[in-house]
Amino acid sequence: MDWSGMMDSILVLTHTDENSALTKASLEAVTASLELAARLGASLSIGIIAVDPAPAASALAATGTRLLAVSGKAFAQPRYASDAAACEALCHAANATIILAPSSSRFARVAAGVAHRLGGVIDTHITAIAGSAQPEATRWFYRQRIEAVVTRDSRPWFLLLDSGTHAAYSAQLGTANFEHIDIQLPALRTTVTGVRTPQSDAQTIRPDAELLFVAGAGWTKKQPDGQTHAAEAGEIILNFIHRTSASLGSSKSLVDQGTDGAPVLPFLTHMNQIGQTGATPRHAKGLSTCCHGEEPHVVGWRFIGERRAISLDPNCGWARGKADVVYIADAFKVMEKVNALLAQSK
Amino acid sequence: MPNALHIIVCAGIVPDPLQTLEPVTNPTGPGLKNEMVLPSVLDPWAASALYEAANLVAKNPGSKLWLVSLGPKAKLQQVMMTIAQKVAFELVPIDGPLGGFADAHATAAALADAITAIQGLDRDKLLLFGGWESATRGAGITLQLVGERLGITDQFQGVDQIDLHDDGSFEVLERVEGGKHQASVCAGAPAVLGWATGNLPEPRNNPQIGMVNMRTVMPALQKAKPAALAPNGLKYVSVSLPKQQRDTRVVKDMNSDEIAAEVVAWIGAE
Amino acid sequence: MNALSQADGLGEDVRQTLDVDIACAGFGPAMGGFLTTLVRAWSVNPADPAFESAVLPGMPLQVLCYERADDLAAAVSGVVTSARGIRGSFPDFKPEDVPMSAEVRDERVLYLLDPIGASRRPFGMRVADSVLRALSRAAGVKDFAFELPWTPAFLHKNGGLLLSLGQFNQWVASKVMETGLVQIWPGTPIAAPLMENRAVTGLRLADQGVDKHGTPEDCYLPGMDVQARLTVVGDGPVGAVGQAIDDALGMPRGHAHREWALGMKFVIELPETAERRLEPGTIWHTIGYPEPEIFGFLYAHPDRLVSVGIFVPSWMHDPSRTAYRYLQHFIQHPALWRHLKDGLLRSWGAKSLEESGRQGEPFLCGDGFARIGEGSGSTNVLTNSGVDEAWTTGVQLGEAVIELLRAGKPFTQENLTATYAARRRASWVEHGAREAEHARGGFQQGAVRGLIGMALTGLTRGRVTMQGPTPAPWLQMRRTEDPKEKLTRESAVRLAMEDGRPLHDALLTARGWPEIEFDGKLLVTHQDALLMGGKVQASPGFADHVFFRDLRVCAACDEKTCVAMCSGQAITLGSDGLPTFEREKCVHCGACLWNCSHSMDGEHSNIAFQAGSGGLHSAEN
Repeated sequence: MDWSGMMDSILVLTHTDENSALTKASLEAVTASLELAARLGASLSIGIIAVDPAPAASALAATGTRLLAVSGKAFAQPRYASDAAACEALCHAANATIILAPSSSRFARVAAGVAHRLGGVIDTHITAIAGSAQPEATRWFYRQRIEAVVTRDSRPWFLLLDSGTHAAYSAQLGTANFEHIDIQLPALRTTVTGVRTPQSDAQTIRPDAELLFVAGAGWTKKQPDGQTHAAEAGEIILNFIHRTSASLGSSKSLVDQGTDGAPVLPFLTHMNQIGQTGATPRHAKGLSTCCHGEEPHVVGWRFIGERRAISLDPNCGWARGKADVVYIADAFKVMEKVNALLAQSK
Repeated sequence: MPNALHIIVCAGIVPDPLQTLEPVTNPTGPGLKNEMVLPSVLDPWAASALYEAANLVAKNPGSKLWLVSLGPKAKLQQVMMTIAQKVAFELVPIDGPLGGFADAHATAAALADAITAIQGLDRDKLLLFGGWESATRGAGITLQLVGERLGITDQFQGVDQIDLHDDGSFEVLERVEGGKHQASVCAGAPAVLGWATGNLPEPRNNPQIGMVNMRTVMPALQKAKPAALAPNGLKYVSVSLPKQQRDTRVVKDMNSDEIAAEVVAWIGAE
Repeated sequence: MNALSQADGLGEDVRQTLDVDIACAGFGPAMGGFLTTLVRAWSVNPADPAFESAVLPGMPLQVLCYERADDLAAAVSGVVTSARGIRGSFPDFKPEDVPMSAEVRDERVLYLLDPIGASRRPFGMRVADSVLRALSRAAGVKDFAFELPWTPAFLHKNGGLLLSLGQFNQWVASKVMETGLVQIWPGTPIAAPLMENRAVTGLRLADQGVDKHGTPEDCYLPGMDVQARLTVVGDGPVGAVGQAIDDALGMPRGHAHREWALGMKFVIELPETAERRLEPGTIWHTIGYPEPEIFGFLYAHPDRLVSVGIFVPSWMHDPSRTAYRYLQHFIQHPALWRHLKDGLLRSWGAKSLEESGRQGEPFLCGDGFARIGEGSGSTNVLTNSGVDEAWTTGVQLGEAVIELLRAGKPFTQENLTATYAARRRASWVEHGAREAEHARGGFQQGAVRGLIGMALTGLTRGRVTMQGPTPAPWLQMRRTEDPKEKLTRESAVRLAMEDGRPLHDALLTARGWPEIEFDGKLLVTHQDALLMGGKVQASPGFADHVFFRDLRVCAACDEKTCVAMCSGQAITLGSDGLPTFEREKCVHCGACLWNCSHSMDGEHSNIAFQAGSGGLHSAEN
């Protein structure tokens, strides 16, 4: 429906983790919703999906806003049918025209479906919301290669915020009343059976890490002695990750090598891929090793703050304005020494 | 046969990732410079979905596979010349505009209409596949919207694995935060699965498969129905290329010990 | 149709076969002309019985075209053409229909002086240089360049078109494919023609699931045999099918592939400065720099894009010949740099050109096959024009095939000669080729004589020429005998082996060319040009398409020109001094084929160049 010129009412959707605490991404969305509501002069409600919403409500008491909650065992785990019903009920109860939510895997799964059920529209991966008369949302297109600002007249309008784009809301715990929203769950055909953590030696992208370490294809290529040293490379990389708890990413070329019979690093899969057909994580720092810094790869670094690279090629992409510092050196030697220094300091 | 599946893969076509992309303003809204002549490929995540679907179809006799794709006819045909050599499918083409700037709701409506019109589709066997995001819009919403339009309420996103059980139920692994997978068991079709990368390598080009496909792909393309995509009130305030040039310090004259010390200091620096 | 399973379960020895009416090798301008002509007549009435399949009765004519590259617009080539044939096919052609196209507006020939002093100039040229320098301003020398006050008519392309071949091919392919009548399969290399005696009966696609040496591994999939009533060979100057037919049938008497050149170019985006504008449609041809033998060009496209490139010919007898580094010096010549400085490299590419012209014409047709395009000797070596000629030979074959289909006649040597070859012999392509036949004869004796010979040929319409024997490419390379030069080369080779420095770089530096000062935008390393300009696609599971026939010959070779001339640095010197090949860097330019200075059998060089998938997939064409 066209809503132009009418007063907006905002709902921010949040969910808790297995400890009944609001997730960091949910708290970031709360911050964004407080800012937006103030700017638009709109009313604000906060929706909570949790097994037990009390701790979450207490954490949000200081916002002074209307709190709505859908609760029960059915919401212990994310699932499309139950979560969609919960979100739908919260939106109806809040009579919201703008719905903010974090782009968590939980909400990314259901928000579009909910928007459709309510006859609304949705935009996701929002990195900023500007505008005082009407929200203007910034998002990326074409894998972080083109940035656009969009706006819509239709309501309800769902906006899913990328994590790391707003500070997490935090305040003194308080006592807060929240409204229980009763819902009729549909017949559930899906059962969540658990979460599989990667095997202990498998390393993945850790969103909370300070540092992103990216391994490029050079690690498994022939070294100056004419031989490949994949086993040694694997040891150095894992040793470093183990000592720094860094997030481990890889370039597509390194992951793809496995299909071409080249030596591989067994702990790297497409889950680690950064770039065009991989992830675009947010970290304060990034260290690239043995990677040439081509554009399709570097688009995955869009949200990495400080960037350094170790490369044998002084003319690699990193040296051309894509990194802050490029060390022209043999990554094997440097990283071995780095590991030794880290071992001493522990 | 309890496990005969009807799998539909929704897959868009996207500019080849190696191409230089520049936004331009067209009369209809934003677009890409020379969009119609940029080489296109099948969307990478949708391609994983297609390979996984072909794998399931091969293992479950009596199954069928459709590929639903929206794009300009000539571009669709070009991409199909490559994709049709990899897996056997029946093409359901929709002759529509290219690009990531179109409204996802309109795209989803066109896809859902095309799927509804497929002859002989059995909803009780239906698995709706696609990428969990695209390399154009990258919103990760189109497939959910199609699923909702078809009334499917078992949906999974960021899927890396599906295991079919004899009773028709199946287990799905979805990517969740922290590099983990959420495991779920669904009682059976119909369901929506938005794929991440899966675990299958890209199949080789097999000219024999290509030839068999072409006998139906070509006529289907000839008959592709045009679809206009309404903007649904979506307005673009601005579209721009990010400025990403940094002032790079290139360090050539330090030995590896000195570099290591600097790197360690930098990692530790708050 | 969904019952077809994946091909994994195929037995070892199962080679699939497929019967088609017309099988086509390669998709370039010649094939574009052929298919455009064919589908245009056919689409008037797709049910016309003349276009019914003979191999699948009741079905339409089965026409399949196979292209090794992973996309039909992957190639990088800028071309200026009189467009006589292309406009014949598209009378309403508008440059705005195809990106980067423009009408030719302003054509100049520049003689470039050497501002550096590293160029190896023969005596005649040094005299000319001195005169020009002395008269400098009076002669109109500016930025070390002298614009020829008059250019011979045979060089004029006025009224013609400036095209990006990649964009043009894609445009043509989409027009052909939207009819739905023919199939163009990308990413499908052809290993060889199928032959019985002297007849061609189809094409064999390349085996998949093999290692570098072609040995079957897991998932082995023998290349399909595509059996065809007519095989159309348009796979260019270094195509595997054309090479194999030449080997099997030999060449017509007195004909041979003797003259080659490597074209290499950049597509550059010019900075936004009004005073340095190059109007779209501006064409420069250059001579004299970076070496006397190297011709250069600059074409201005719309949207501040220019194509700039050079041609390095086989008659540049120096074994230290190279292309990439020379191209970098070329763009920095003051006359060009004035416009290009602060520009941005958008893409890059390289290609071998068959410059033997009519002297390299193979048998145009035989039982079951016809040859079109550059590999059929259609390039006019006087006007330096090939695309329009290639296109036109394709059109002529298209018309011939339509005639034979309507008459219900088989594709025999006799019938193809009477229709295709006859059309070609009676056309402007043939007249031009005959006039140009000996235009290049003088170059074997040096650049100055060559230029005089070309001028004579052009001005007298081929009646007066400077003819001389043209040896095989491997004999055109001068052996290094000068001790000083030998030392220079040896030190460069050592640098390449010990420090991993590209051989072409080491050679030119040793020759006294100044180092390139990289700016990261336009002046970049060779490998960066590959990365910035696109990506080399090299599908796994195929055999290497470049191999050294006898490594003992390579071990004893002093020249190593294959390494210096390799457009993608895919051939490098191993630590053992032997050349090694990396498919992931090969742009399929074919330079190695004619830059090898040795032959074991007097027929072939020591490097074999066969069918391979992929190649350079450019970021912009």
